[in-house]
Amino acid sequence: MIDWEPLVLTFKLAATTTVVLLIIAVPLARWLAYTRSRIRPILETLVSMPLVLPPTVLGFYLLIAFSPSNAFGGWLQDWLGLRLIFSFEGLVLASLIYSMPFMVHPLQSGFASLSPSLQEAAYVLGKSKTATLFKVLLPNMKSSLLSAVVLAFAHTIGEFGVVLMIGGNIPGQTRVASIAIYDEVEALNYAAANTYALILFVLTFIMLLGVYLFNGGYLQRLRQ
Amino acid sequence: MNILHGHIDSLTSSGSLTLVHVNVRQTRLSAIVIDRPDTAPYLKLGNSVTVLFKETEVVVGRGTEHFVSLQNKLPGSVESIAKGELLSRLVLATAVGKVVSVITTNALRQLALEPGSAITAMIKTNEMMLSE
Amino acid sequence: MIELAFHKTLHSADGTMPLRVDLRIKQGSFACLYGKSGAGKTSFARIVAGLLAAEAGRIRVNGATWYDSEAGIELRPQQRSVGFVFQDYALFPNMTVEENLSFALRRGQDAGIVRDLIELIELGGLRDRRPAMLSGGQRQRVALARALVQTPALLLLDEPLAALDAAMRARLQQYILRVHREYRLSTILISHDVSDILKMADTLLHLEHGGIVWQGPPAKYFGRSSLSGKFQFSGELIAIEAQDVVFILSILIGGNVVKVVADESEVKALRIGDRLLVASKAFNPIIRKIDVNPDDERIPRS
Repeated sequence: MIDWEPLVLTFKLAATTTVVLLIIAVPLARWLAYTRSRIRPILETLVSMPLVLPPTVLGFYLLIAFSPSNAFGGWLQDWLGLRLIFSFEGLVLASLIYSMPFMVHPLQSGFASLSPSLQEAAYVLGKSKTATLFKVLLPNMKSSLLSAVVLAFAHTIGEFGVVLMIGGNIPGQTRVASIAIYDEVEALNYAAANTYALILFVLTFIMLLGVYLFNGGYLQRLRQ
Repeated sequence: MNILHGHIDSLTSSGSLTLVHVNVRQTRLSAIVIDRPDTAPYLKLGNSVTVLFKETEVVVGRGTEHFVSLQNKLPGSVESIAKGELLSRLVLATAVGKVVSVITTNALRQLALEPGSAITAMIKTNEMMLSE
Repeated sequence: MIELAFHKTLHSADGTMPLRVDLRIKQGSFACLYGKSGAGKTSFARIVAGLLAAEAGRIRVNGATWYDSEAGIELRPQQRSVGFVFQDYALFPNMTVEENLSFALRRGQDAGIVRDLIELIELGGLRDRRPAMLSGGQRQRVALARALVQTPALLLLDEPLAALDAAMRARLQQYILRVHREYRLSTILISHDVSDILKMADTLLHLEHGGIVWQGPPAKYFGRSSLSGKFQFSGELIAIEAQDVVFILSILIGGNVVKVVADESEVKALRIGDRLLVASKAFNPIIRKIDVNPDDERIPRS
C-alpha cells in the first residue's frame, strides 16, 4: 500500500494555487488584453519568464528572499508569523509565480479574441466593469477559462524544481507527488515510484483530454 | 432642363397626390406630385417654388389654338433654332421666359418652323417637377 | 438642444489629425454624420458616447452636461443617456435576443419596453435565438432595439447599414426611422451612403479631415435643392457624349450604368467623376416583370 499523502498534498497545492491564481489572473489578463500602457510589455515579459527560466532559478531566488536569515524573510517571520520556506504557504506562493503564464496567457488571448465593442456596448448600457466581466466577457470565453484553469492546475501538479528548492521534502507539508517519485527512485523503490507516476500520468491525461474535447467542440457534436 | 420660378397659387390633394398650380409671371402652370402638404412642407400656398421640366418633354404646336389634353400651354415665338440630323433644339420666347424644346428634325420640317414663327409650347402636367 | 464642441488629436497610420468640432443639433432631429473613411466619424461618435476621451471641450445633451473640460466634468459612458449601435452590432453571443434586450434594462425599470421593442422591430418569432443564429439584418435590428431599451436622450448609429445588401438596407432605414419617430429620439447616424442620408436625415453634418465643413438640410447639400421627383438616384458621371443637339450622359448608379439625355446648358457645369442626382417623375418609368425565361418576352429597347 502506498502513502497517499503526497498525492493529497499535490492536489491541495494545485487546487489552492489555481483558485488564488484565477482571482489574480482574471483582472491582470483583462488589463493586459485592453491596455495601451507602456509598461504592458514589461509585465508580459515578467509573466512569461517562468516559461523559459529553469525552475531552480526561481526557486533559488525565492529561497534567498524568504529565508528568515535574510531581511525580508526575517520581517515576514517576525511581523506576520509567516515562514515561507519549507512550508506549504511558501509552496503556494512559488506555484503562483511558476504557473502564472499558464493561467494568464489563455485568459489574455480569450479577452483579446472578444470584440472590444462587446465591452463598450455593456458600458454604454450602464453596466459596471464588474458586471460586464461576469455577465458579458467571461461567459463568452468559456473555453479560454477552462484551458487556463486546467493548464494552471496540471502544471502545478507537474512542478518539481521550484518545490524542491523552496519546499524541501517535508511529509505532509511540502512532500508533493513529484518529489515523492524522485525520493522513491533514489531509494530504488521503483514500484512505489511507478504507482505515483502512473496516477499522475493518467490524471493529467484525463484533464487535458477533457479540455481538448470541450474546446474542440467534440462534446457538442456528440450531443447532437 | 428648363427652370422657372414662381409661387404656389393653389393646392388640391387627393390620396397621396397633389395637383399644384404655380404662378409664373402671371401665367398659371400645373404640376402633379406624389406628395401631400403634410408630408412635404414646401407645399404651402404662396411658397416660392422652382418648376423644372426637361427640354425633350416640351411639345411645340404652330399657332395658338389647340384642342389637346396638355394643361400647360405657353404661347410665344421661336427665337432661334439649332438643327441637328435627327433632333433639333429650339429656343422659344414665351410669357414665362425662355423655354428650350428639343423635337425631331422631321417635326421641325413638317411644322415649317423658323425664327419668328408663332407657336405654343406645351408640357404635360405630370412632367413638371417642383423644387424648393 | 444638443451641443457638441470638443477637440482631440487622432493618431492613425497616416499620422496625426486634429478632430475639432463645434456644432448644435436641435432636439428630436435626425442628423447624419457624413464623410470619407478616415475623416474621424467613428472617433466623433465614440467621444460623444464617452468611449474615447476628448482633450477639451463641452458636450451638453438636452440640458445635461456630459463633458466639460473647464468644469472638470466627464461622465463615464455608463452615466450618459446614450444609445450606441456598433458597426459590428456587438450583440452578446451568450444571450438570446430577449436576454440581450433585458440585460440593457436599468435596475427597477419596467420590462414592458423589451416586449414593445421586440414587437416594434418584428422579432417576436426570434426572441429565443442567439445572435449566431440570426441574419445580418436581424442582428442589426436587435442591436437597434437594445440601444433603445433605456430610452436614451441621444442615439448614435455607427454605419449600421454598411454590411447589408440594398434590399435589407431599405427595410432597415424604415425601422430606424420608425423608432426615431416612435421614441422621439435625437439621432446621429454615421454613414457615407447618399441614399441613407437623403431618405432619413433632416440635418447633414459633413466631416472632412476632422472638421465639420458643412451643416444643413441634406437635400440642399446633394441636390442643392429638394426635388419633388420620386424617382431619384445618386451616381457618378462616367461619360459625356455629344449627340446632335443634345448630350448623352453615362452615369454609374449602384453598379449599373444608366444613360440620361441632357441639354448643353446642363453639361457645361459637369465634369467626369462628378456625383450627380438623377431624378425623374414617378409618372415616367415603365415597369415590366422580368420573365423567368428570357426567350418568352423581351424587355423593350429604349
